[in-house]
Amino acid sequence: MNFSDDILCTKSHEYILKGDLCTVGLTDYAIEQLGDIVFLELPEVGDEFAKGEAFANIESVKAASEIYMPVSGKVVEVNTDLIEAPEKLNEDSYENGWLVKIETTGDEEEFSDLLSYSEYKEELE
Amino acid sequence: MVKETYLHDKHVALGAKMVDFAGWHMPVQYSSIIEEHKTVRENVGLFDVSHMGEVFVSGKDATAFLNKVVPQDIEKLDYEKAVYCQLPNKNGGLIDDLIIYKLGIEYYLVICNASRIDEDLNWLVRNKRGMNVKIDNQSHNYSLLAIQGPRAIDLVRKMGYSIPSQQSFTIKPAVIEGIKLLASRTGYTGEDGFELLVENEYSEFLWDKILEEGKEYGIKPIGLGARDTLRLEAALHLYGNDLDESTTPVEAGLSWSIPKDKRTDYNGKEIIMSQIANGVSKKLIGLTMLDKNIARHGYEVYYNGEKVGHITSGCVSPSTGKNIALAYVKNIKEICPDAVIQVMIREKLHDAKVTKRPFIQKRNRVK
Repeated sequence: MNFSDDILCTKSHEYILKGDLCTVGLTDYAIEQLGDIVFLELPEVGDEFAKGEAFANIESVKAASEIYMPVSGKVVEVNTDLIEAPEKLNEDSYENGWLVKIETTGDEEEFSDLLSYSEYKEELE
Repeated sequence: MVKETYLHDKHVALGAKMVDFAGWHMPVQYSSIIEEHKTVRENVGLFDVSHMGEVFVSGKDATAFLNKVVPQDIEKLDYEKAVYCQLPNKNGGLIDDLIIYKLGIEYYLVICNASRIDEDLNWLVRNKRGMNVKIDNQSHNYSLLAIQGPRAIDLVRKMGYSIPSQQSFTIKPAVIEGIKLLASRTGYTGEDGFELLVENEYSEFLWDKILEEGKEYGIKPIGLGARDTLRLEAALHLYGNDLDESTTPVEAGLSWSIPKDKRTDYNGKEIIMSQIANGVSKKLIGLTMLDKNIARHGYEVYYNGEKVGHITSGCVSPSTGKNIALAYVKNIKEICPDAVIQVMIREKLHDAKVTKRPFIQKRNRVK
């Protein structure tokens, strides 16, 4: 599976990989911009969030940021390994560095404003 | 317009992430803040701090003038010595913090914060009325390169540093790689090291040469990100965070730097001396978080359910892995080292232990 071909991205640098469960994380660009990741706070399984709502907090040495839901969903799995070792995000934010897996709770329409990875990269330039 | 140092293009070529800082386009990191931080603690790092201000003060009344604007006793400052100073307003609040160097008879160098050059110059000029003093802002003509870390001395010696011995907090005309410069044994990291004041036209050559000759000592260029974590571990104040016009040097825990027997009057003296004698209503403390959360600038601080102050600086300490911070709190005696207080982070209170400053053992004193 090649993440960059299949993910959809938000302008606030989250990605979502569609599937039976959707995988949500931060793009490689976001991680690079943040620098050394030193703190990560993730939601609990069962928590529900609306599209655009903050669901996690991340901090690099320099700054604290919120992470927003690309679409509405209910958390069914949390990448707990990352909470103990958030610096792993600096190596990879896709294969092993995903944040949560969700069941979507909104309609398909919520995906319409998301960007393909190539559109997202263009947007950055 | 955002200003660029003479070395700007070097940083870009080295792949630095650039940010706007105090009106300057500066490197925040080249590789990783944590890696750069450790390089300075373990080996040696090179910083471009040319954004800082260099103001030469000379004239018949130069000593008397400086003595009037800082709490420190400039009359007692020896030739080639440096002293850490503050620039208080009439109420003892700080316009800036500075290092003053005595370069000769009635001849001084003042190094100030980039963000405060205009305010400092304005204040200095307003205070020199009737005095025979020349205030010469040369910030645009000089570059300032800092070499910091336990291997700094080995590196400058290798580069032909012409001084047989130099104590901390002294400045000497020196030759390094054939370039005449002023070598100050000072820094902002808690480590031994040098700050080299050099005319702009030699700065690029010197920058490249230091990186080349420093390879065998593991040198890396260091950005402002690691400069901040290094200075915070050493509990060195950052103007704009830990000091400003509403804080006095006594509140900031800088009483150690203020002579109690200075006769000359200076701005804010009455308030500063009264605070030293009678105490202050707020004080600057060090904190270590007891969980993984990081206290950041502006976060509120609580004690026994009551809001008692706010965080001024906070970060992860790359040397210890702990999260450290500085905060202004109400001056109550229960808030003392090892007391547990709380920081409001994302609407929850998190425990932190009051910790003696500095957070690391400083190694910058060289006899």
